[in-house]
Amino acid sequence: MFDQLALLGTGLVNTFDPLNFSMILVGLVVGILAGALPGITMLNAIVLVLPFTYLMGIVPSLLLMTSVYCGGVFGGSITGILFNIPGDPMNVPTTWEGYQLNKKGFVSKALGMAIMCSAIGGFLSALIMTFVSPPFAKVALSFSSCEYFSVVFLGLVSVVVIGTRSLGSALISLFIGMFLGTVGMDDIYGAVRFTFGSRIMETGINFTTVLIGLFAIGEVLDQLSVKSKGEGEIIRTRPKTTLPRFAEIWGLRNTVLRGLGIGTIIGAIPGTGATVASFVSYGVEKQVSKTPEKFGTGVWEGLAASETSINASTGGAMIPLLTLGIPGSGATAVMMGAFLLHGIQPGPLLFSKSPESVYTIFVGMLVCNLIMILAGLITAKFFSELMRVPENILCAFIITFCLLGAFALRNDMADVWFMAAFGVVGYFMRRYALPIPPMILGIILGPLSEKYFLTTMIGAGNDFTIFFRRPVSGCLMVISIVLLLMPFLRTLGKRGRKRPEAA
Amino acid sequence: MSSSKAGPAQNVSLGPIWKSLIGPLLILLLTIYFYFLAGKIDEPPGPEQLGAAFWPKMILIFLMVDCRIKAGEILKARGIRDAEATQAGPLPEVDTLKLAVMIVMIIAAVYFMDIIGFPLANFLFLLLFMRIAGLRKKVPLLLTSILGTVFLLYLFVKVVYLPLPKGQWFFDDMTIILYRILHII
Repeated sequence: MFDQLALLGTGLVNTFDPLNFSMILVGLVVGILAGALPGITMLNAIVLVLPFTYLMGIVPSLLLMTSVYCGGVFGGSITGILFNIPGDPMNVPTTWEGYQLNKKGFVSKALGMAIMCSAIGGFLSALIMTFVSPPFAKVALSFSSCEYFSVVFLGLVSVVVIGTRSLGSALISLFIGMFLGTVGMDDIYGAVRFTFGSRIMETGINFTTVLIGLFAIGEVLDQLSVKSKGEGEIIRTRPKTTLPRFAEIWGLRNTVLRGLGIGTIIGAIPGTGATVASFVSYGVEKQVSKTPEKFGTGVWEGLAASETSINASTGGAMIPLLTLGIPGSGATAVMMGAFLLHGIQPGPLLFSKSPESVYTIFVGMLVCNLIMILAGLITAKFFSELMRVPENILCAFIITFCLLGAFALRNDMADVWFMAAFGVVGYFMRRYALPIPPMILGIILGPLSEKYFLTTMIGAGNDFTIFFRRPVSGCLMVISIVLLLMPFLRTLGKRGRKRPEAA
Repeated sequence: MSSSKAGPAQNVSLGPIWKSLIGPLLILLLTIYFYFLAGKIDEPPGPEQLGAAFWPKMILIFLMVDCRIKAGEILKARGIRDAEATQAGPLPEVDTLKLAVMIVMIIAAVYFMDIIGFPLANFLFLLLFMRIAGLRKKVPLLLTSILGTVFLLYLFVKVVYLPLPKGQWFFDDMTIILYRILHII
């Protein structure tokens, strides 16, 4: 324990070295900006800063990359709240609530709440990472495809709780999304599905193109095509980000703690990450809420749950990387590359060979999440300035950014075509009240669930009961089924209460 | 009691209900078609394997069942639906021509980006789209289109190293000349 504290002290001194500290600042701003621009993902930003780390030492390199990582996962929430354009798929649940809060006139507070919850989630998960990394990593590693499927299934179940008046419409949207996820080359058997002979379709439909199209282009068309605007029009003033008061955060403490737990655990499971964490966290939050019907209309709990879990997943994702040398996501894989570039092999030996570097990363992440409040405020102010830009100019540039964002994914015009097509689809889905979020959920989690389901079935000889026989998977499946049945149980409960009253 | 329940439903004409049913019916027909296509996937499953068609077929079956549920929801709520719609007020009126022009412009921008190159296609798109969206003043319109395109070129080509489409034929040379003038390459 004393050694650990001494190493933390060394880490603290290293972190506040001028070069290291400036790397944190630069990384946060780059990460938040990259995360906020649709199409330029946090992963793109980490890859972009990688060449700059060649000339640096290992500590500033890793601090730069971890701060880009932490800033990047938060950045997409800013444009999600301001313009209904989530920078990354992980920011979609934040957008559902944040944009509605914006429409209600709470944009300043929504931005502030997103910043605070991100910082709290990231800080506490980094703290967890500092003290419980090794045992945590062992548990996460014991997960097989069976448990992965159960986690993803839990995410899919959240469609039942996604704000929509009609469960039938939500399920249609979800299954269409899941079906779109099957287009292209199948991961397990290598079969080509529903491509109509087109080579472009073989690589599948990238979910980011669907995301950008449905949300951003659909929204622009919807806003500009309306002749006379009603009360729902966004108040186009320059919002000033207002950080929430302590009492407001304290009021959401249970939500934040649930988001922290879900984010850290899911983040630590290789292959899942922040996107699954944010969907699961949002879904769980709605299920435990006393007013679940209000979700999707601008609810603070929904925003806080999603934001906390997204940044909590960053601490979780670092656990298997540092303790076992296993990158669980694209971002941590690039970071592993940076370790290797400097001749350091992440894994159990890292703690004995370069403990100072490890503890500097730990402290760096803690500091990074604290400074993120400041960096978030500055960046949010910059993006808020855009709210003063006239609607016709802003919308034209949003479309251009979307076209560029879709192209940047794979440098392929096919993605731009898909994005434009889904933009038109998104507009009509809005007009005909077919909910968009379930489709996004389906196209993101559908391919993952298929992969884990079929892998499990191959290993278990098509025995479906395997999902209930393994303890962790069984618990997750039971939780999912309970969540799935909860709306029906609530309805039954309401009927039961009405009967005695009527009598 | 029964008359009050039947009341609103009786006043509803069947027209809007059939309109609402078109969506689920159309999706159902497409689902059946794709289910048929899924049966033709060229990868017969090995022994004790579910095969590549299993997952999409399962989704499509769920989708078919759900279309049936949705149709039931529509028929069940026909009276309530009309009452809700009246309470919520009419949807904002849409300028159909403007909408159609905007959709065509987005498609045209994607199409021409590959042919005339990103800089020119983007400049024209910004210029025309902002004009259609209601920006009337000529100088701001022109300046925003030019400066916006230059800013995007610097950001994406110079900073992010994104090889944006340069266009075909002489448009390719034109884009390269523009890049040189702007010191992008």
